[in-house]
Amino acid sequence: MTPNPLKRVLMLGNEAIARGALEGGISYATGYPGNPSSEILETLFKWSDAHDVAVEWSVNEIVALEAAAAFAFSGRRAVVTMKQNGLNVAADFLTTVSLDELPGGLLVVVCDDPGPLTSSNEQDSRHFARIAQIPLLEPSTPQEAKDMAVYGLEISQRFGLPCMLRAVSRLSHGRGPVSLGPVASKGPQPRFDRDRPKVGLPFLVTRNHARLLRLREEIRAEFEASPWNGYTGPEGVSTLVVASGLSATYGLEAIQTLDLGDRVGLLKLGTTWPLPRERILERVGRADTVCFLEEVDPFVEEGVKVVCAENGDRAGRIRFLGKNDGFVAGPDGPGVGEMNTDTALSALGRLFDPAPVQGEPLPEDLLARARDLLVPRELSFCQGCPHRASFYALKTALELDGRDGFLVGDIGCYGMAAGTTGFQQIKALHCMGSGMGNACGFSRLKEFGFDQPVVAVAGDSTFFHAGLPALANAVHHNADAVFVILDNAVTAMTGFQVNPATPAAVSHGKRELRIENAARGLGAEAVVLDPVADVNAAVEAVLQAVETGGVHVLVFRHGCATFFQKRADRSARPRVWVDAETCLGDQCGCNRFCSRILSCPAILFDPETGVARIDEQVCTGCGLCVQVCPREAILLERSEDGNP
Amino acid sequence: MGIKGSRELVQNVLQAGMCIGCGACVELCPYFRHYKGRTLQVFPCDLESGRCFAFCPKIEVDLDALSRRLRGCAYEGLDLGVYRSIRAARAGAALPKASFQGGGTVSALMAFALGSGVTDAAVLTDREGAWPLPRIVTDAQDVLACASSKFTAAPTLQALNRAVRLGHQRLGMVGTPCQVTAAAQMKGGLASQEDFRDPVALTVGLFCNWALDPRALNAFLGERVDLDRVTGMDIPPPPAEVLVVRLGEESREISLQEVRPLIPETCRLCPDLTSEWADLSVGMFEGRPGWNTLIVRTDRGGDLVRAAEEAGYLELEPMPEENTAHLAEAGRTKKERAFRTALRENAVNRENGCSVLRLPAEVVDRLT
Repeated sequence: MTPNPLKRVLMLGNEAIARGALEGGISYATGYPGNPSSEILETLFKWSDAHDVAVEWSVNEIVALEAAAAFAFSGRRAVVTMKQNGLNVAADFLTTVSLDELPGGLLVVVCDDPGPLTSSNEQDSRHFARIAQIPLLEPSTPQEAKDMAVYGLEISQRFGLPCMLRAVSRLSHGRGPVSLGPVASKGPQPRFDRDRPKVGLPFLVTRNHARLLRLREEIRAEFEASPWNGYTGPEGVSTLVVASGLSATYGLEAIQTLDLGDRVGLLKLGTTWPLPRERILERVGRADTVCFLEEVDPFVEEGVKVVCAENGDRAGRIRFLGKNDGFVAGPDGPGVGEMNTDTALSALGRLFDPAPVQGEPLPEDLLARARDLLVPRELSFCQGCPHRASFYALKTALELDGRDGFLVGDIGCYGMAAGTTGFQQIKALHCMGSGMGNACGFSRLKEFGFDQPVVAVAGDSTFFHAGLPALANAVHHNADAVFVILDNAVTAMTGFQVNPATPAAVSHGKRELRIENAARGLGAEAVVLDPVADVNAAVEAVLQAVETGGVHVLVFRHGCATFFQKRADRSARPRVWVDAETCLGDQCGCNRFCSRILSCPAILFDPETGVARIDEQVCTGCGLCVQVCPREAILLERSEDGNP
Repeated sequence: MGIKGSRELVQNVLQAGMCIGCGACVELCPYFRHYKGRTLQVFPCDLESGRCFAFCPKIEVDLDALSRRLRGCAYEGLDLGVYRSIRAARAGAALPKASFQGGGTVSALMAFALGSGVTDAAVLTDREGAWPLPRIVTDAQDVLACASSKFTAAPTLQALNRAVRLGHQRLGMVGTPCQVTAAAQMKGGLASQEDFRDPVALTVGLFCNWALDPRALNAFLGERVDLDRVTGMDIPPPPAEVLVVRLGEESREISLQEVRPLIPETCRLCPDLTSEWADLSVGMFEGRPGWNTLIVRTDRGGDLVRAAEEAGYLELEPMPEENTAHLAEAGRTKKERAFRTALRENAVNRENGCSVLRLPAEVVDRLT
């Protein structure tokens, strides 16, 4: 549903960014899924038909950025979305396209995941704005997120360079009221001017770099007057909080909670690169204590210190309190984890002696009741998840092989295989495709006496995202490498987005690429197996691959259970149940193998009957437990129409 | 000490290098597996006690309890164990000729037992190149394919456990002393199994001084011959001192000096030369090629031998006394060496923790 313009609606931060991009007149939106950024594109997909916006999940972030840039080259506006890890992938293009002169607009939205809920690092993306010398906007509310998206597209086109909008997970996933604006027109017929300025040639770089630095100062001048930056508090106080983005709201809450409104001022910065030098000096120069609140790194903190150092006569003598000196610190230390109101309260509370009163803590019985509401739940693959069978097979094969083999992985649901649900098999887990690249090096390590088998696992989406270059490298260097590609047909972890391995029926006609064909095209041996259907065949295939040299690609193909079960007719599921006569329970000697080892949410041990039980409401009928029960006490019955 | 679980088994046998890979713990449960000469626990199990521990011939083997249960008397450390008679034997005319190690006595016994219905399946050890391959044989014709020694430790009891699960109730098995010891411990079942019925109707044990580690042997041979072409192995009687590897029509001789390092450490603690807990034990007849030494230990073993002889499956002759004496000396030498090693390594009658062996202290004193 398209939000009615000129209304006030409750929106997720990410929906607000999507709305802002729409109001800003984009023709194109690209991205690669990744928490906390995914909802921006998901939202734009819903609006794409009504507003004539082309939207796509690209194969990776740099392709997404390069594709979006083509619109900006041709006079149109585009937005590209990603999480912080993704910006690293896109950075190569970002740091060169900023030297260009874009006739259109290009908004780069990056959503950071501090204190990561779903990331392999907690990188602060803002540094890239400085590296690329592009304007950086940090919204503090969904309303600002929407408005800054509109503004970001506008200054991008006006100055001819990309603009970066940085959100954090609590902003992306928090809701707030947003007043909508009109949707701008998309601009003239797109056209690429063949006489437009050249970039990228080495002898032009210094000229373009100098131009970029001049633009930075023009943008700084604009930011000096920007309404995104503002002071709250009384005049004449000597204690100043400088906060950016969402941290400004934590600062305001802390000031209110501690009743410090008449003793502390807050300078909120929404444009954090280039920093508005005069606005900062105006406020900092009147203070003798400056405390910084921001997420994650001391980015503004260090920028403000540079401004003050360069203008010592105006700044005067200041006590800076932030992350570098350890004053502003969460439970895990300064510069680590999320910023929140508690951390802000802790910092501001220590500014004064005696410490200001924080008000009544929450009653303990209330906290206890809240804790009771939490259901203890193991981090686990979903019921029917094909990764359970895959890692069961991989662990079994590596144990049988007996040479201390191990898995190196990358980013996907299967990353949980570093924990109990995947039998603790993944031993290295870094970024998209990283295991496949690691495997190339482990192969060369054999020249130095290394003799452990290594299996690299990747997903269907990470294979196309970053695995292909590693595979080419392995084949090119005659490596001994085993790549297991866990092809579940969708980018499941981030919300079942389509990718090149997704069947055309699901992706609405996009062309499906087969991983095995790509592998064979690059000269690797490739076989396709379904460990859910035959787990022992998968064990055999892995054993054979680790025992023989060369590059082996094993495609473990079985659709994501949660995604496909949602779409499937429930009555078509195979029925799985325990024959209570055959199951011996604790008399078996299997030590509850099905419920204890497989850790499937659908398999229970029933203490009343003393035998295993399948929760048929939850079970997807995958049949892995049927294959591993030593008594063959778990039975499976396919529905009459033969559900695959 | 009593029967413990897989944690103690893994710690004291698998991780301690004591496992001979007999297969007794495999296919009882989903946890233990055997792959290419190595037994392992794939997934962790925390049961307090289990059949894996109870059956293992390398941990808490209570020789006195075995002797009292199977032989009706205390364990005295006799050179050749308790037996009824020793005979010279070879396959009779009723058994087709095959590539036997000695006189074909084992093949004849197993083929006759299957054919006559004494057993409903035989658990034997075939080979696949240089790897031992346990097999469940239900046709007397297929017994011959498994003839001749493999010279390696083999997970034969994995096939025994599988055969039990498949419902066989009168199994015959051929095994080395360690395997026969495990099978003997299986006869007790577990206290928790009230309806336990021994599914093994016949055990034929082999004479064995040591076996080779199959992983080590494959690695060793792989550097010397094409492993896929290995069709058999032989160790001719002294003074030859060679391992003969047959490659179809060709053969390769390898000095035993080179092969001995492939004997697993665990064999040094084995006190049993002649498979003392079997119904029948069979080995070489030194100095008389084409014949075997046959030890009859139980009534059912004796009954089978008589019937096999009558049916023309077996030829029997008396065993010369000097041969018996020579065999007994070899049996005593192995016991003494094993008990001395066990004492030195604190592996016998330990008060705390797991022993490999338990037996009356006076027997240990007498033999060491």
